[in-house]
Amino acid sequence: MAETRAKTEEQSSCLDTLARNPLYVGLVIGILAALMQVLLISAGGPEAYGFCVACHTRDVVNDAVNSFAGAKLAIAAISQNAILPVMTVVGVLIGAFASARYYQEFKTKTGKAVSYIWYLLGGLFFMIFALFMGGCPYRIGLRIGYGDVVALIGLVAIVAGVLVGIKIATAMAEREG
Amino acid sequence: MVASGWLSKETAIIAVPIITLLFGILIGWLGQRSGFCSIGGFRDFFMFRHTRLLYGYLALIGGAFVGYLVFWLITPSAFENFFWLIGKGLMPVPGAPANLTVVAYIVLAIIGGIVVGLIGVLLGGCPLRQVVMTSEGNIKSLCFVIGMSAGAVVYTAWVSGWGVALLKGLGIA
Repeated sequence: MAETRAKTEEQSSCLDTLARNPLYVGLVIGILAALMQVLLISAGGPEAYGFCVACHTRDVVNDAVNSFAGAKLAIAAISQNAILPVMTVVGVLIGAFASARYYQEFKTKTGKAVSYIWYLLGGLFFMIFALFMGGCPYRIGLRIGYGDVVALIGLVAIVAGVLVGIKIATAMAEREG
Repeated sequence: MVASGWLSKETAIIAVPIITLLFGILIGWLGQRSGFCSIGGFRDFFMFRHTRLLYGYLALIGGAFVGYLVFWLITPSAFENFFWLIGKGLMPVPGAPANLTVVAYIVLAIIGGIVVGLIGVLLGGCPLRQVVMTSEGNIKSLCFVIGMSAGAVVYTAWVSGWGVALLKGLGIA
């Protein structure tokens, strides 16, 4: 009995070692995104839409606003046609919460009130510019895999933005001493 | 031709929320375990030459390509325009505002990408990381996710129209 339990723990920790390596996680997300398209594309487009935090959040939020406030905000065809929009982001919230609880890593972290305002504004502008680009960095990655050159240009721009951000962050850190 | 996958349209419209929810739960679990982050990958590489997260993001691109290729070979009808560049040239996959010129899409990709990278670095993570950190109990990330949700409505209701009008006014749309 004890032996079986030890064996199960070993197996689960082996799986967990894989889960903790971003390399395998990235592979899984990419392949599952393709699997989602082959399963669900009959419900509607666009293509290379298997995973996107920005677009899928937009679909859920806009669909909720449409349902409760009677608005007519545009969402992707697949979410429009289906009985409910794509629920990926809701799933991520649930999955990450379950995992954080299971491994006892859930911990409420608060910040200063002013930081909340920065994060609110940051999220707002992040979403707006990601949607202008046609996706968050994840859908950009999927689109590159699908053969979209504009997405590749978008990724180069993201890298440029990261470099500018590092400069700003370093300068701010130095000024604060 | 209407794209068709493994599930018929009648089944797929019911399956969409269920399958995407399960798919999301798996990604959330893996994302929490690995600390997966796209923008964080580039940040760690440029600041510390750490490649752990960067390889994760590159693996996502590679995994997506292999996945699309394999499933396209099995069921070509689900991937009408794969490989996009060959069939559609430089026009991007739909998602950004519709019916613009290639130049306008490239301009949007450059501006959007720079802002996304900048905000991602300054606030410590790409959107997936923010959603995962929200589930780990981080109130700042929760504010980011609330801001993103508000941004979705603001973008769809107003800003996308303004952006398109601006591009048209500048003569590049």
